Amino acid sequence: MVSVLKRAIAIAFILIIGYWIASALSHVPFGADKMLVGNYYLQHVENQTGAINAVTAIVVNYRGFDTLGEVTVLFIASTGVAALLWERKRKRTARTEGTIVLTTGTRLLFPFILLFGSYIFIHGHLTPGGGFPGGATIATGFLLMYLAFTTYRIPHRGFEVSEGLAGMGYVIVGLIGLAVGGYFLFDWIWQTWKIGTVGNLVSGGFIPVIYTLIAIKVGTELSGIVDNMLREGSS
Amino acid sequence: MNGQYAALLIAIPLISAFFVPLIKKAGRKAILSYVIAVTVAQIAVAAWVFKRVYTTGKPIIVMAGGWKPPVGINLYIGYFAALFVLIVAIASFLMAVFNLRAMKTEPLDKYAMLFLLLMLGATGMIATGDIFNLFVFMEITSITAYALVAYNKTGEAAEASMKYMILGGIGSSFFLIGIALIYGATGTLNMAQLAQFAGLVNSTVVQAALALLIFGLAVEAELFPLNAWAPDAYQASPHPITAMFAAFVVKAGLYAMVRVLFLFQASSGWSGIMKLLVIMATLTVVFGEFSALRQRDVKRMVAYSSISQIGLAAFGFALVGKAGASTGVASLAVSAAVFHMVNHAIVKLLLFLAVGYVAIALGGTKLEHFKGLGRRMPVTAFSITIAAFAVVGIPMFNVFWSKVKLLIAGVEAGYTWSVFLILGASVVEAVYYFRLVHTMWFSGEDVNEKISESVPIMAMMLALVAVIIYIGLYPNTVWHVVQKAGSDLLNVGSYVKHVPLINVGVRP
Amino acid sequence: MISAYYFGSIALIMIGLYTVLVKKNLLKILVGLSIMETGVNLLLISIGYISGRSAPILSEGVGPNQAVDPIPQALVLTAIVIGVATTAMALSVAILLYKKYGTLNIEEIRRLRG
Repeated sequence: MVSVLKRAIAIAFILIIGYWIASALSHVPFGADKMLVGNYYLQHVENQTGAINAVTAIVVNYRGFDTLGEVTVLFIASTGVAALLWERKRKRTARTEGTIVLTTGTRLLFPFILLFGSYIFIHGHLTPGGGFPGGATIATGFLLMYLAFTTYRIPHRGFEVSEGLAGMGYVIVGLIGLAVGGYFLFDWIWQTWKIGTVGNLVSGGFIPVIYTLIAIKVGTELSGIVDNMLREGSS
Repeated sequence: MNGQYAALLIAIPLISAFFVPLIKKAGRKAILSYVIAVTVAQIAVAAWVFKRVYTTGKPIIVMAGGWKPPVGINLYIGYFAALFVLIVAIASFLMAVFNLRAMKTEPLDKYAMLFLLLMLGATGMIATGDIFNLFVFMEITSITAYALVAYNKTGEAAEASMKYMILGGIGSSFFLIGIALIYGATGTLNMAQLAQFAGLVNSTVVQAALALLIFGLAVEAELFPLNAWAPDAYQASPHPITAMFAAFVVKAGLYAMVRVLFLFQASSGWSGIMKLLVIMATLTVVFGEFSALRQRDVKRMVAYSSISQIGLAAFGFALVGKAGASTGVASLAVSAAVFHMVNHAIVKLLLFLAVGYVAIALGGTKLEHFKGLGRRMPVTAFSITIAAFAVVGIPMFNVFWSKVKLLIAGVEAGYTWSVFLILGASVVEAVYYFRLVHTMWFSGEDVNEKISESVPIMAMMLALVAVIIYIGLYPNTVWHVVQKAGSDLLNVGSYVKHVPLINVGVRP
Repeated sequence: MISAYYFGSIALIMIGLYTVLVKKNLLKILVGLSIMETGVNLLLISIGYISGRSAPILSEGVGPNQAVDPIPQALVLTAIVIGVATTAMALSVAILLYKKYGTLNIEEIRRLRG
């Protein structure tokens, strides 16, 4: 009885909120050109950042502060997961060894997955993709290793250190911008040194550099989260 | 030095947190001392920023990437942000010192990172001038807080963290919907530009968006009815973290809410939203105080009291809706609310520090643990007593001034009913704080063994007591500062004027 | 008039919220939160859409005037990562809760705690 009432209240609440959002959205026409700052980005992106992918240019360059925060959020998640699941001695407890198809397939695919992940993050300024999808792809490679081999573990310590170093690298790139150009996260590679031609691999200023750092960070962090969740303590 | 170096406020804690994995093996003492060193550096930068902002009278606009707003994200460090960034840094430093004594639970390297990132998140929330960036920093703060609440790894801690996470998750989704609506209606995310557009946007969109944003931020600002997570989280967190929650995390949430609301003061239907906030704030005060009365656990009791005090500050901000932003009442109310936030930060830092210290020394925070504390730990008991007198609002202590000013503003704005409710709640508050003081000094004749108190913690407590009494005796020094901070919040015209917006064309 | 295209995202938000409010299993609640996040992301993307235009990658054939609004896409990228982080944290807290109480039913947990 109570649960029926609870459900009814929940449904009423949800309908009110839905109506609210819908009534507000009726004043935001779908499919119309509503750009203001967006249009500025589209007009100036090639010239100002050297990237042809406007989304990554915004993510890394124009709104670089958000991305720094985003990287931090993922870092917090991996740290938090490790802190909460921490126990003095933990082992993997998986018992079912992967089938021959899985193990052979994994051995074959693993390097190619890493290669594909690297392709995604290196070409972030030219094609859809970037450091986050690239890093996530790399992490799936490690996840596959975990699924196939019951005793496999990532080199935990090394991953943690490279995670920290990649994060520091990102901040240092930003601080070099502060020293060279006078602004934190200033794109000194494109705007001061003018390296590369628009549309080529070597272009986009610090976008490929930062995306490489981000990919290392994301790859190690997501693998670390998987590793932490798959190990169990004795208790 | 160039004002752009204020970006170090963000860069220092961030790079230091990323560095921690490299010194993981250095041992407990080294890691915790490292955290202290970082907070000292943060204080140095924050003090420089504070001095610069208050001597030049102009806010520092940090433009990330060198892009002028609204193209890039800018930080706006005006009177308010400069003051609170400094408070965040100092509170973090005190708690970093307290860590040495309070934190034994492994893994401490992870704790150190989360500690620094909590400081970073609150600093960013206070400093940012972009509404989506505010969302990112809010998430940094809250995800760190989820992890830290559960850090003790007890059942209660995990449950408190889960509660917080579910409410916070709904809140952040709503906040994002609000951002989506605002972006759809204006095409920009920069706060100054949003303030310019506020009067032109369709009022249905603004009202729905503001309501959603308030809903999202009220979880962080601990306003009724979205503060159900707070008492559990306060009780279950490690002691230094509880103090940090009360001292600045909740303030950052409240500030963000007020800033976003004030930006839209030109839009129609704004005063209706503010009325809603008055009701929420009043109920927060009343429910907080009455729940506190029922608690037998002192840490939880102080937590409830902290929530209700935040409600009082929110009440001050909400008064602007009825009075109108340009009136004298509004500026009195906002300055008083900022003053109350400062006072509350000092007092609650002291209370949670002392209560946490008692928990470490005596093994718990039940009311029974406080029996005869006056003889066992005289300095701690003395500090708690002063803090209790201050919270209740006894003249000669700091909170008295801000409380009185808030209530005067409330009467002048015509919210007599709320003022009466709040006064009633204050009586309740006095009852349970005096019960605590009475327990400490006049009961438990049988427990007499003295506990030697740690010198650094005594020094911190006495320093905070001195600040409380100083502000209580000479409120005018701080009052001048908070008046400037309040006008920085209230006067959106000057906010817009100081942000160097460039013309990016017109909307089609 | 509200466009029908928005209803997909509003429906996802409402379904997610319903799951969070009504379900008792912690994992289902977390799934509900994720559904809600997906709905919000979809909403952001659809606000940035402009009829007849293409993805904002300015290679051959797509000039600055033939691309959709890039900002919401960038925001969604950030929001997705934040969602992943929240989910990871929530799952580890759920693991912790299961270790302590042996159940993921929130009412059971409340009852066991007393």
